[in-house]
Amino acid sequence: MRSIFHIAIREIRIMISRPIYGFAMVLAPLFCFYFLTSLMGSGLPTELPLGLVDNDGTSTTRSLARNLDAFQQTSIVQQYANVSEARSALQEGDIYGFYYIPKGTTRKAQRQEIPTVSFYSNYSYLVAASLLYRDMRMVSELAGGAATRSVLYAKGATEGQAMAYLQPIVIDTHPIGNPWLNYAVYLCNTLLPGILSLFVFMVTVYSIGTEVKRGTARRWLTLAQGNIHRALVGKLLPQFLVFLLMGMLLTVYLYGYLHFPCRCGIPTMLLVMVLLIMASQGLGVLMITFLPTLRLGLSFASLWGVLSFSLSGMSFPVMAMHPLLQGVSLLFPLRHYFLLYVNCALHGYPLSNALPYVIGLLCFALLPVVLAGRLRVLLLTYKYVP
Amino acid sequence: MLNRLKTYWIKSCLDWNYIFREELRTCLKDPGVLIFFLLVPLAYPLLYSFIYTREVVREVPVAVVDDSQSSLSRRYLRHIDATADVRLMAHCANMEEARTLMRQRDAYGIIYIPESFSRDLNRHQQTSVRIYPDMSGLLYYKALLMANTDVSLAMNADIKVERAGNTTEQQDKVTEHPIAYEEVSIFNPQNGFAAFLIPAVLILIIQQTLLLGVGMSAGTAREHNAFRHLTPIDKHHTGLLRIVFGKAAAYLLIYIPIAVYVFGVVPHMFSLNQIGSPIDLLLFLIPYIIACIFFAMTVSGLVRHRETCIILVVFSSVPLLFISGVSWPGSAIPELWRHLSYVFPSTFGINGFVRINNSAATLSQVQNEWFALWLQAIAYFFLSAVVYRRSIRSARRNVAQHWRALRSRKTEQALPTP
Repeated sequence: MRSIFHIAIREIRIMISRPIYGFAMVLAPLFCFYFLTSLMGSGLPTELPLGLVDNDGTSTTRSLARNLDAFQQTSIVQQYANVSEARSALQEGDIYGFYYIPKGTTRKAQRQEIPTVSFYSNYSYLVAASLLYRDMRMVSELAGGAATRSVLYAKGATEGQAMAYLQPIVIDTHPIGNPWLNYAVYLCNTLLPGILSLFVFMVTVYSIGTEVKRGTARRWLTLAQGNIHRALVGKLLPQFLVFLLMGMLLTVYLYGYLHFPCRCGIPTMLLVMVLLIMASQGLGVLMITFLPTLRLGLSFASLWGVLSFSLSGMSFPVMAMHPLLQGVSLLFPLRHYFLLYVNCALHGYPLSNALPYVIGLLCFALLPVVLAGRLRVLLLTYKYVP
Repeated sequence: MLNRLKTYWIKSCLDWNYIFREELRTCLKDPGVLIFFLLVPLAYPLLYSFIYTREVVREVPVAVVDDSQSSLSRRYLRHIDATADVRLMAHCANMEEARTLMRQRDAYGIIYIPESFSRDLNRHQQTSVRIYPDMSGLLYYKALLMANTDVSLAMNADIKVERAGNTTEQQDKVTEHPIAYEEVSIFNPQNGFAAFLIPAVLILIIQQTLLLGVGMSAGTAREHNAFRHLTPIDKHHTGLLRIVFGKAAAYLLIYIPIAVYVFGVVPHMFSLNQIGSPIDLLLFLIPYIIACIFFAMTVSGLVRHRETCIILVVFSSVPLLFISGVSWPGSAIPELWRHLSYVFPSTFGINGFVRINNSAATLSQVQNEWFALWLQAIAYFFLSAVVYRRSIRSARRNVAQHWRALRSRKTEQALPTP
């Protein structure tokens, strides 16, 4: 017990004396937490710039454009004389899409000749284009309806009758857990723990790797009286406590301060966060055990940490990936965390419903127990090659 | 006079050449640096393209609760099942059963058709279909919503035609759509994820690997140096410009083939968008790579140890991707962060490259970004010169001090102690 305490004190001294620890454990995570949540602000981009090509220029088409502009997410910033000008503006990045009303639209509509309007969205900017697409399609549907509706009203139909004629079937959408379609909820809930997990990988690898690199591994082991378990606990405990503090801060910030949906309550998410940090530390020990050269270990940690974001399935679903990757995704603690977050916070099911992922995270956390023997041999014999 | 100028010139070129070759050799001999200069730029684009190569989500499994059990509701569901986006995986007796499927993550959404569906339609009343998409991924939501919107609009059109009692086909068409519309997904026709994300990632890889590689090389130089300096003291490391240009040229030489591979070969291999003019692309990428090199050399002034640059740099990829305006719309980025983003070459690089590569913009259409990159290249050149100048000066000072200390110790030893 005392040896663990001594090693922990030694570790705290190291952490204080080298600025990189302060950076990786406190400063950079805090910056990322603030940066990403403030970047997304209210969670839905508003007033996305849209172009308009109105070659018809009648009161009907002008009212159509006004309707489009009135949508919260769309803002018509510029009128263009023709399609090639609008296309050029699209290429210059001034707008994310444009709405095209050809000449004679109103006349054709009145003559019942079925004019065609078109809208272009630049899907190189997927989020912006998807949002604009939704508004432009809605306006186009309404435009078709507007003509018929005025006829129906003139015939004495009530509003209910008119709507029942125009739209017999409507879709009533109930997005589960995130009814506002808030992008911050969708992204930050996994991105930020992912960044924290990346730093846990790195600090774990760095702290053990520098012992090897500087030739202080023996002294570290001697302090633990040659017991690798004590040595590891003493070393990882202070780091765990700092990261735990950061993780708790993040959880409380997301669910307590920003009020992101958390149907399971904050304590459950705190527990999941603790599991993620322990799992990341466990995996970090594995990284440095297999690649004891500091730079290789850190490269491995970066690779795994950065790939976590993609393979967690938060942005692009894992089920749409290659079957091989669907299996590989389970080797990333963030994937388990993401599934637990969806299960608990978003859908509000008990933790027991997603037990396999809890066990998965625990397995990562217990990796050092299995690897300790190997690590001990390595610490005693490995010669650092610069 | 002329002779002195000539010898000076020759000496400069020789030093320049020496530093260039020395840097090239240390980079290519150091496996740590090679990971970032070769392995990562070669492997990462492949890895990312492989992850996103399917571009879109198809056949999202969805549970159905059909309380109407009528021919109309069955027709609706048949059309839903026929869409590419959604697959009906189970017909449930009630919502409880459907919820269980969601809970087990077998279904990613529920479609509920109310008992009154067919009756409402036959009575000419409006009816609604309820959908409950899983919001753990926006693409599930999008798939479910798109499938239902498309099917309901098509059925609405059919119903209107049935009710209208038209006599001619043209009248039917008018009833369906008094004003028709067509949607064009320009510059990314399949609405794909890879086509949207990969170009930005490619640009980012260049900047990040340069930061890592140059940082690691600088850290190594410091670790090998007795006084932890960036530059050694020898007869070749005398001129500031020779050092900065010599090193930059070495990195540039390494990154020319890398850039050709990353921007030329990778998009081709995964048939990503690549409709820009190669000349414009080339002209755009030159300032980008130069700006990245000097940016990396400036940042490398902060690196004390070989490995710390990994911890300093890697995490920044995530914020840099978001700040660039591709994944999060640039027009929605708060003022403060937009100003911060101007510090990084990747911001202009991504914006310009995406437009040239994905939407065939010409160089004059991305001239703001192009000039900004040149400006950054110049600014970071001066900054990196300042970093190296400080390093050279303190190196000289330290060596002089050390030498003086040695000499005084020698004289002390020479004197007989009283």
